[in-house]
Amino acid sequence: MFFKSEKNNGFEGGGLVLFESVEGALSGERALKAEGIENRLVAPPPELRRGCDLALEINLVEKPAVERMLGSRQVHFIDILPTRGGTELLQVVQVTDFGEAVMVKAGNMKLTFDKVSGVVLNISGGGCPDIPYLHAEMLAKPLDRAPRPREMGHTLCSLMLDRAYVQSLEIWKNGGR
Amino acid sequence: MLLICGTAPRKDLPLTEGEAILQGDTLRIGGAEIPCTQGTAALVSAAGATLAFLRQPAPRTLLVGDDGSGKGSRLLYEHLIGNLPRIAPQVVVLHYMLPVMGLMRKVSESASKAKKRPFMIADAAAMYAAKAAGIARKFDLFTPDLSELAFLADPQATHPAYVSRHLFESDSSRIPELVAAAYAHGSAARTLVVKGSTDHIAQDGRIVERLAEPNIPALEAIGGTGDTISGMVGALVSAGFDAVTAARIAIRANRTAGLYAAATPATRIWQVIEALPRVFAEHLDEWVRQAGSTKDERKAS
Repeated sequence: MFFKSEKNNGFEGGGLVLFESVEGALSGERALKAEGIENRLVAPPPELRRGCDLALEINLVEKPAVERMLGSRQVHFIDILPTRGGTELLQVVQVTDFGEAVMVKAGNMKLTFDKVSGVVLNISGGGCPDIPYLHAEMLAKPLDRAPRPREMGHTLCSLMLDRAYVQSLEIWKNGGR
Repeated sequence: MLLICGTAPRKDLPLTEGEAILQGDTLRIGGAEIPCTQGTAALVSAAGATLAFLRQPAPRTLLVGDDGSGKGSRLLYEHLIGNLPRIAPQVVVLHYMLPVMGLMRKVSESASKAKKRPFMIADAAAMYAAKAAGIARKFDLFTPDLSELAFLADPQATHPAYVSRHLFESDSSRIPELVAAAYAHGSAARTLVVKGSTDHIAQDGRIVERLAEPNIPALEAIGGTGDTISGMVGALVSAGFDAVTAARIAIRANRTAGLYAAATPATRIWQVIEALPRVFAEHLDEWVRQAGSTKDERKAS
């Protein structure tokens, strides 16, 4: 077992929110519960422990939503980490030139835009439910007027799409190069 | 019967069950209209087009609105946990839904309570949940792309965003190695359909087919071109084809539909799906014949 559960309700999320203080962790639990985001108080394993002895286990996939929620309620936290495996989010971005369009791939997400107009032509990849939603919101809009995935998305897929979006914006502003 | 389960990009859509029909760029189900974009709408549309051509009953669809908050996804999980044995589908495709490991385990357990466990297909985040929950082997077929294959090959990762860099940076030449790792770690379904510039079909740890023609690079940019493959595979398996033949036909149909739709990076997925009836009319008989002769050759050898 990875770490001892304070309240084992069968929830298994794979992500850990670390706090400086026990009060912070308790505030975080209340804030997330109020928003219907599943979580539970746990003791973090020694190798991940930073700050206090109490952490929140969350569904790692919901990291962006949790960050936004805690931020909006001024609940300070140290970090959100996976309970197993590497702790670094993928930073690799790959670019494909289709001539009149450019496709930027970040993680499992791909965003394709028109080199001249900057209009979002397509979004592909991913698997979380906010991706078709973001697809519908961003499609056919110029990059600088499309909603930013990080602000609307809830999941790690939206975080990867945000990376592709930021890189796309930079490429477009540099004339598609 | 084919049952397709997933989410739609609408906040207000309650859990909706019924037959879905694609009209132009809109999918209609139970009085609701859903844009046929990337995601489960594209999967349902491609499955519907395939079954309509085969003169088979339309897929039964369970769709719920979810903007990523997971509220709709949880309704869908709970419905499946409570009702899968009663619905008793032959084939289930699980697709865009918030990956929740514990709930996915319960869905799989519920499927096992049916008189006959359905043929279980998972794509998108349903596949992420199955792998992260350690129950990939209980599934019959996964349809990852290259980055998702790297995720399956990484025993520790619970989402593709946390895949080891050295695995993620693998190019297509390393697909056999990644496939082998995914099977070795118990993170693969019995059959894998790996979507990419060259599509690979693997079964029981062994790559059995590679398909690269017609080569339409723009398909990678079009949101939904992986979803259409999953939908067609589900439809073809429910129509009686074995998994490898279904995968082979679906891949060929997808590529040929891209050719017929003159796909560019700006093409919408519904335009590719619209080309499917012509693709099947012109090629399906030939592909089925070839599948039969390939099987005979395998038996002979």
